[in-house]
Amino acid sequence: MISIETQFKDVKSLDLANLPEEQTALSINNLSLFYGEKQALQDVTMRIPKNQVTAFIGPSGCGKSTLLRCINRMNDLVDNCRIEGEILLNGLDIYQKSVDVAALRRNIGMVFQRPNPFPKSIYENVVYGLRLQGKNDKRVLDEAVEKALKGAALWNEVKDRLNDSAFGLSGGQQQRLVIARAIAIEPKVMLLDEPTSALDPISTLTVEELISSLKEQYTVVIVTHNMQQAARVSDQTAFMYMGDLIEYSDTNTLFTTPSKKQTEDYITGRYG
Amino acid sequence: MENFNLNKHISGQFNDELENLRNHVLKMGGLVEQQLADALTAVENTDRELAHQVLTNDYKVNLLEVSIDEECAKIIAKRQPAASDLRLILAITKTVSDLERIGDEAGRIAKVALASFSSAQQDFLTSLNSMGQRVLKMLHNTLDAFVRMDVEAAFKVHKYDQKIDREYEAMTRQLMTYMMEDPRSIPKVMDVLWSSRSLERIGDRCQNICEYVIYFVKGKDVRHITREQIQRDIMDKK
Repeated sequence: MISIETQFKDVKSLDLANLPEEQTALSINNLSLFYGEKQALQDVTMRIPKNQVTAFIGPSGCGKSTLLRCINRMNDLVDNCRIEGEILLNGLDIYQKSVDVAALRRNIGMVFQRPNPFPKSIYENVVYGLRLQGKNDKRVLDEAVEKALKGAALWNEVKDRLNDSAFGLSGGQQQRLVIARAIAIEPKVMLLDEPTSALDPISTLTVEELISSLKEQYTVVIVTHNMQQAARVSDQTAFMYMGDLIEYSDTNTLFTTPSKKQTEDYITGRYG
Repeated sequence: MENFNLNKHISGQFNDELENLRNHVLKMGGLVEQQLADALTAVENTDRELAHQVLTNDYKVNLLEVSIDEECAKIIAKRQPAASDLRLILAITKTVSDLERIGDEAGRIAKVALASFSSAQQDFLTSLNSMGQRVLKMLHNTLDAFVRMDVEAAFKVHKYDQKIDREYEAMTRQLMTYMMEDPRSIPKVMDVLWSSRSLERIGDRCQNICEYVIYFVKGKDVRHITREQIQRDIMDKK
């Protein structure tokens, strides 16, 4: 018997609204955020699936970076910033008073727009987080460096000059080094805030390639201005506008047949 | 989702490119419609000159198909269209290939005008012509639905195809009877039969184009599903 498979294997999409607990990495429930009087996030509710890449897109000031920052409590440092609602990581609200922020950030790593290596050697950059945790055994650190740099697809380029300054690397390499630094402490979730906006197209592609491989071990959340990038790297995409989560669905659907007019206008460049 | 405004991109150049593309498709549609009308007139009046003209003009349709496909490829490469823009480009590349085939069928019909028919056989030409006019109307309505990206109109044309199919069956039966009665007429009758087959195929291709219109507007692929399903799943859902 010859059977014809009409469904291609990778076309299964998740039911994001009713994502089962074991597949959920982060649950954002009725999250509102205020900067003083101004409300920057309006009652956002979404579930971010495990081991997938979720992208936030939207025009400047729509709240996508704010939402990303909420996930590892970066907004704590902002004056008169008030948060309502909850974000659950493994079922625990990260905004509870008992939560140790440093411990939280070990679980949720973050990479920023511009590569920000420390003025140290490549090796010391990668092990920085581990040293903070009190790990100083050279063998353990050596192993971690190799693993993290391999994970960030940088190992082959720098393995012979681990003790050189990180500033000697190109922008793309620096960004991958920063990603290596983030994964060295083995977080569960990786937050990427426009990780390629300061990079040239070739470095961008290497970083994008890296993002796709990261999801095997981590849950990746990425904010990007580049819609094609969101389309290329992500499994789910959330479109935000003026602090509202307008549409959140699997990337294939969102970029071919969005259900909301606003999403349609934004991704086809009719916005404004 | 219903009212697409093609002129509101931030990029004015992209607007122009899409507008040009649409205009070229309309031009091609107009040309194909004219080819079919000419082919039918040529058959009706046994106008050999007009028939030759239809055959020589086919290259224009072919050229348009190639150049529109090129435009689409350029837009995809340069603009990376998404959502409705992407669906428009996909719908257009498919539409032009169907239009080109309609042009070919018109050529096939025109060839009938080059054969000579006895007066007794003129009857077939008359019924061929009446089926032809109906198909021509269908093509016209298809292009109309395409210009306005009107789903309702597209679905109406889509439904209309069953009438053409029935007419084709009736005509086949009639021609078979004639062939049985007078075997010497078989070569000529076959010509007519092939022409009616061409008309029936044009009807199918119009139906395809209507499916692309529905795909563009509704974002749902309606190929290879029953008409009832289209009605239930797509047309009734606003």
